[in-house]
Amino acid sequence: MLRFLGFRLLRAIVTIVLVVTFAFVVLRLSGDPALLIMSVDAPPEAIAAFRAAWGLDDPLWVQYIRYFNAIFHGDLGRSMRDGRDAIVLVTERIPATLALTLPALAIKIGIGVPAGVYAALHRNSLADRMVMVMAVAGFTIPSFVLGLILVLVFAVQLGWLPSGGQESWRHAILPVITLGVGGAAVLARFTRSAMLEVLGQPFIRSASAKGVPWAAVVRNHALPNAAIPTVTIIGFMVGSLIAGAVVVESVFSWPGVGRLLVVAVANRDLAVVQCILLLVAMTMVIANLIVDLLYGALDPRLRATRTAGAH
Amino acid sequence: MVLPAATTRPRRPLAIPALVLFGIAWLVLMLLVAFSADLISPFPYTALDLRNRLAAPIGFGGPWLHPLGTDELGRDVLSRLIVSIRLSLLIAFGATLIGAFVGTSLGFLAAHFRGWVEHLVLALVDFSASLPFLILALSVLAFFGNSLTLFIVLLGFHAWERYARIARGLAISAGAQGYAAAVRQLGASPWRIYGRHVLPNIASTLIVSMTLAFPEIILLESGLSFLGLGVQPPATSLGNMVGYGREYLTRAPWILLAPAFIIVLTTFSVSLIGDWLRDRLDPTLR
Repeated sequence: MLRFLGFRLLRAIVTIVLVVTFAFVVLRLSGDPALLIMSVDAPPEAIAAFRAAWGLDDPLWVQYIRYFNAIFHGDLGRSMRDGRDAIVLVTERIPATLALTLPALAIKIGIGVPAGVYAALHRNSLADRMVMVMAVAGFTIPSFVLGLILVLVFAVQLGWLPSGGQESWRHAILPVITLGVGGAAVLARFTRSAMLEVLGQPFIRSASAKGVPWAAVVRNHALPNAAIPTVTIIGFMVGSLIAGAVVVESVFSWPGVGRLLVVAVANRDLAVVQCILLLVAMTMVIANLIVDLLYGALDPRLRATRTAGAH
Repeated sequence: MVLPAATTRPRRPLAIPALVLFGIAWLVLMLLVAFSADLISPFPYTALDLRNRLAAPIGFGGPWLHPLGTDELGRDVLSRLIVSIRLSLLIAFGATLIGAFVGTSLGFLAAHFRGWVEHLVLALVDFSASLPFLILALSVLAFFGNSLTLFIVLLGFHAWERYARIARGLAISAGAQGYAAAVRQLGASPWRIYGRHVLPNIASTLIVSMTLAFPEIILLESGLSFLGLGVQPPATSLGNMVGYGREYLTRAPWILLAPAFIIVLTTFSVSLIGDWLRDRLDPTLR
């Protein structure tokens, strides 16, 4: 188990380094930020001063090492727009995003998992077909279309709910529903197929053949086994809590991390984009690590085989 | 108590379910529209008709001239829709093929060389899986500027890691089977082994992955274009039209509803076909 943990930890660190490198290379090689921030007609001295101030004069590898060094000291750079620390700019948006993504996650798990389990237990019934059609529909309707249709119906036509902004909890209802429905559909589909696969296994048949009540078979044998693949997807959803609402935040003018990212990308605010990229990757990697640990708890077989790096 | 069907499911006959038939029909229709876009669109997609600005569709009091209405510059929504379908499908097909090619190639490389090559590919797979693709695409797009080619290539990297995982896993298990070893003993080059022998044997699984990735790419393209960071005007795609129509949500919802309808139906159709193909073709499900 310790070796398994160490191996996963090493991989997580490699992933983080790759993400940082990717962010650095893409953002630095893509153009001259000085010209974009300063406009083309700025006097050459001003541009030179800007470049010197931000360290843009040095060779790329010097900037790269400096960047890594800074990150290890917790310094993620400053926004080129207003000079504030990027990490502060980003973290002060996190509560707003979590106010959307956490309730949405609850909806996804609260509706998606039971719906998937129910559909699998009543395979080919009317309810199963309904769940599947809803699940495919929920997956295929893009969040911005669903969001705008909800706005059209509940804000414009009926006038029940506000269409955008962040003044009260009522403003959060439509974005949370928009986020939750799609995820619930994905989760329902996934849970159903995981459940079906487990229900087809011989140990389910032998359990019910030896007279175990069906409810107990489901609870003690089917559900724990179907939980393994389902946990993977939930882990991914937990990992995207911080940046999973980019489009929805834009639709509903919600001032979260996603909005900040879109604006920062449009402004080429390098430090802020890097900071968000890094933060998202960190949450994702940590969520994946937790999922791996849960695997170990859910499935003792994996503790032995996973150390070999089998995928 | 009803026991679910056990592993010895009888092979189903080749009857295609009605919904899948509908999906295929819709996809064929979309392809026909895309290929004949120049012939069937009633107006050039940038042509203005200033007398008929924000005209409603037929049946909602609009003129017969513009069946799906017009936008605020008097551009014909139907014509724009047809051109958008062509561009969105082109992007989705192009990106799906690129993703499948890149992913499968890297998966084969990992399976063939093992050692550090495999570790590198797996590290890249981890990297891809650690970032939501939308975030990755957003940063690349906005910082490299935007051109159609770059956009297609970028979307092509969506889901490459899935193909890589599948191709690596299947190629490794194929290497342990008789047929790959036999052709290797006969002196076949790696190109021949992987291209002529392994690839055809794992093609069905890859095709299923492609049908599952295709709607995701349509959704990504339209999402990015909706944010104004994908296809750039004057070119128009389905997501672009939705993003643009959003400003006229109250006054002219048809600008937005028509392309939204097409996006949903197309992704729905391909997903249905993909699910059905997976049930039929994927050997791991039998």
